[in-house]
Amino acid sequence: MNTASLICTQGLTKIFQMGRQQVRALDGLDLEIPANSFTTIMGPSGSGKSTLLYILGGLDRPTGGSVKVDGVGLEKMDENDLAIYRRNKVGFVFQSFNLVTSMTALENVAFPMRFMGTPGRKRHDLAQKLLAQVGLEKRAHHRPTELSGGQQQRVAIARALVNNPPLILADEPTGNLDTSSGMSIMQLLSELHNAGRTVVVVTHDPRMLRFATHVVYLLDGKSVSEAEYRAASEMQTFESHEEISA
Amino acid sequence: MRFSDLVSLIFSNLNRRKGRVALTAVGVIIGTAAVVLLVSLAIGLQRNATQSFGSITDLTLINVYPNYGEGPIMMGGGGGGMVMEGGGMPQQKMLTTQAIEEITAIPGVASVIPREYVQYSGSMQYGRLEAYGGIMGVGVSDLAEFGYPLEAGTTQLEKGTAVIGGWIAKNWMDPKLRPGQEPPPQPDLLNQQIKVNLIRWTQDGQEVRKTINLRIVGVLQEARSEADSFLFVRLEDSTAWNEWGRGKRINRYKEGYEQLIVKAEDTDVVLDVAEQINNMGYMASTPQSFVQGVNSFFTVLQVIFGGVGAIALLVAAIGIANTMTMAILERTREIGLMKAVGATNRDVLSIFLGEAAGIGLLGGLGGVLVGWLGGQVLNVVAATYLTSQAAQSGGMPTNFGVYTPLWLLGFALVFSTLVGLLSGLYPALRAATLVPVTALKYE
Repeated sequence: MNTASLICTQGLTKIFQMGRQQVRALDGLDLEIPANSFTTIMGPSGSGKSTLLYILGGLDRPTGGSVKVDGVGLEKMDENDLAIYRRNKVGFVFQSFNLVTSMTALENVAFPMRFMGTPGRKRHDLAQKLLAQVGLEKRAHHRPTELSGGQQQRVAIARALVNNPPLILADEPTGNLDTSSGMSIMQLLSELHNAGRTVVVVTHDPRMLRFATHVVYLLDGKSVSEAEYRAASEMQTFESHEEISA
Repeated sequence: MRFSDLVSLIFSNLNRRKGRVALTAVGVIIGTAAVVLLVSLAIGLQRNATQSFGSITDLTLINVYPNYGEGPIMMGGGGGGMVMEGGGMPQQKMLTTQAIEEITAIPGVASVIPREYVQYSGSMQYGRLEAYGGIMGVGVSDLAEFGYPLEAGTTQLEKGTAVIGGWIAKNWMDPKLRPGQEPPPQPDLLNQQIKVNLIRWTQDGQEVRKTINLRIVGVLQEARSEADSFLFVRLEDSTAWNEWGRGKRINRYKEGYEQLIVKAEDTDVVLDVAEQINNMGYMASTPQSFVQGVNSFFTVLQVIFGGVGAIALLVAAIGIANTMTMAILERTREIGLMKAVGATNRDVLSIFLGEAAGIGLLGGLGGVLVGWLGGQVLNVVAATYLTSQAAQSGGMPTNFGVYTPLWLLGFALVFSTLVGLLSGLYPALRAATLVPVTALKYE
C-alpha cells in the first residue's frame, strides 16, 4: 500500500443475491485513494460505485477481499466498531439529503453529536458555526421542508462535518439538484478538500471532474482506465441510439 | 450516548407523533386504571372486613373451652379454628385452676381470664321498663382487658356492680305499653340500680325466682359484637348465682371454668399460643386464624381482580407493539441515518425501547390518576347510597371503602412502564439490527 493512501482495497467483492440470481456489484476491485485527495468515482448505473462508497463508509460489508481505511481493516470490525468508525472517521452526504423532517436545520446538524455524548450547549454552538460555514446561519430554525434542495444539501454537508471527519463520502450529492445548486455544492465539497480532508464523491456528473484530483472509473464492479471507460460509454450511447431508431 | 440525551431524544420523538402516542396510551390508561381500581377495591374490601372484625373482637384474644373427651372435633372455620389434638382415646381436659396456671406459663401469654354465663337469668328491670340479655361473669376487675369500647362510666367492676352492653342499653321497653302509645325514651342507666331476675325450676317443676340489685357503672358502645347483648358482672357474683341455680357449690379444682379468655402479648404470637393450648389437650380458637383465612381469601381476590385488569393491559401492550412496529417501518431511513452518523445498535435499541416504555409510562401515569379518581368517586357514591339505605332501615351504615395504597400506584406505574418496555422489545430489536445501507435505501 502506498504510504500516502488513505483507502486501499484488495480483491474487494460484493455479491448480492437477487432471487435465484447472483449479482456481482464489485468484482475483485483493487483500489487506492490517496489522503487529502478529491476523488470522484465515475461509472454508469449498476457499475457498483455506490456499493463501493457504502463499504468504504462502513455501512455495508464486502463479500470478499479487504478494505483498509487509515490502515485499519473494516472487514474485520464488528457492528459496534463500525459504528465507532463511522462516528469518528466518516462524514456522509447523500443524494436525497436524509434530513429528519421534524427537526430544524440546527437540530439536524446537531443530531449526530447526541451519539457522541457532546453536551447540549456545545452541540448548539458547533451546529450554529457549521451552518454559518455553509452559508445558512439565517436558516438555522427552518425545517427541511422550508428549505430548497441546495440548502438541504448544505445542511447535510454541515451535519457531515460535526465530527470533524478526515473522510467525506458523498453519494451523488448533486443528483437531486438543479445546475446552479449542484455547482455550489461541488464548490463547497472542493473547499472541504482544500481544508485538508479526503473527499470521495460518487457521481454521474462530469462537471465534478473539474474539482477532482483523482478519478476512479468503474465498469461492472471493476476499476478500468479512462480510455476503456470512454469506449464503453460511447458503445452504450451507440446501442441506445440504435434501440431508439429501431 | 448520555442518559439525559437519550431521555430527551425519546420524549422529543414521542412528541413528534402526539396523536398516535396518545391513542396508544389510552389503551394503557384503561388497563392501568382497571388494575388500580380493581385491586384497590379488593384491598378496600379486605380492610373493611378485617377492620370490622377487629372492632368486634380483640385479635389478641384466644377462646379456650374444656375438652369433654368426645373425640376429635373440628370446629370453627377459615383455615384453623379449634382442633383437638392427640391420638388414641381422648381424655377429658377441664379448665381447672391448675389449667389456668399451665396456660399462664406459656410464653407469649399476657393474661388468662375465666368467664362464665349465668344460666338462670331472666329479664332485667328498671322502673317500669324491661330489657333482655345474657349475664356474663368475668374473672377480671377491669373489662378493658377484653378491648370493649366504652361509651360512658367505667370498665372497673366490683361486686354488686355491672357494665351493660351497648345494645341492651338502648333496648328497654315498657311491657304495659298499649298499641298506639308513644314508646318511652331510653333511660340513662349510668349509676342507676337495675333489678335482675333469676329463675330456676325445682325437680317437681316449681318456679323459683330471685331478684338481684345491680348498680350500672359503665355503658359499652354498640360494636356489633357479642358484648352488645350482655350484662357483665364479677365472676364471684355469677358463680354465686349459678350455684343458687344448681343448688350446690361449684368445684373449680375439679369442674373448672366454662371458658377461658387467653390474651396474647401480640397478634403475631396468637396462633402459636393457640396451637400450644390445643397441644395441651384443651380446645382453643382464635379469631386470628379466621382473619388469616379472610386475608388469604382477599389476597386471591386481589390477584384475580389484578389479573382482569392485566388482560386490558395485555391488549394495550399489543397496541404499543403495533404502534412501534409501524413507527419503525416509517422511520427506517431515519434509523439508517442514525447508524450512518455513528449510532450503535445499542443506541438504536435504547431509543426505541425507551419510546415504547415512554408510552407505557405516560399511559401508566394517566391510568394511575384515572384509577385513583375512579376509586374516590366510587367511595363517595357508595357512601351516599349506603348511608341513605342505613337511614331507611335504621341501622348502622355498612362499611365500604375502595382503598388505594401508595405502593399500588407505584407498582402500577412500574408495571405499565415494564409492559411498554416488553412490548417494544421485538420492534426495537428489529430496528437495532437493521443493516444500515438497507435502511438508508428503504422507500
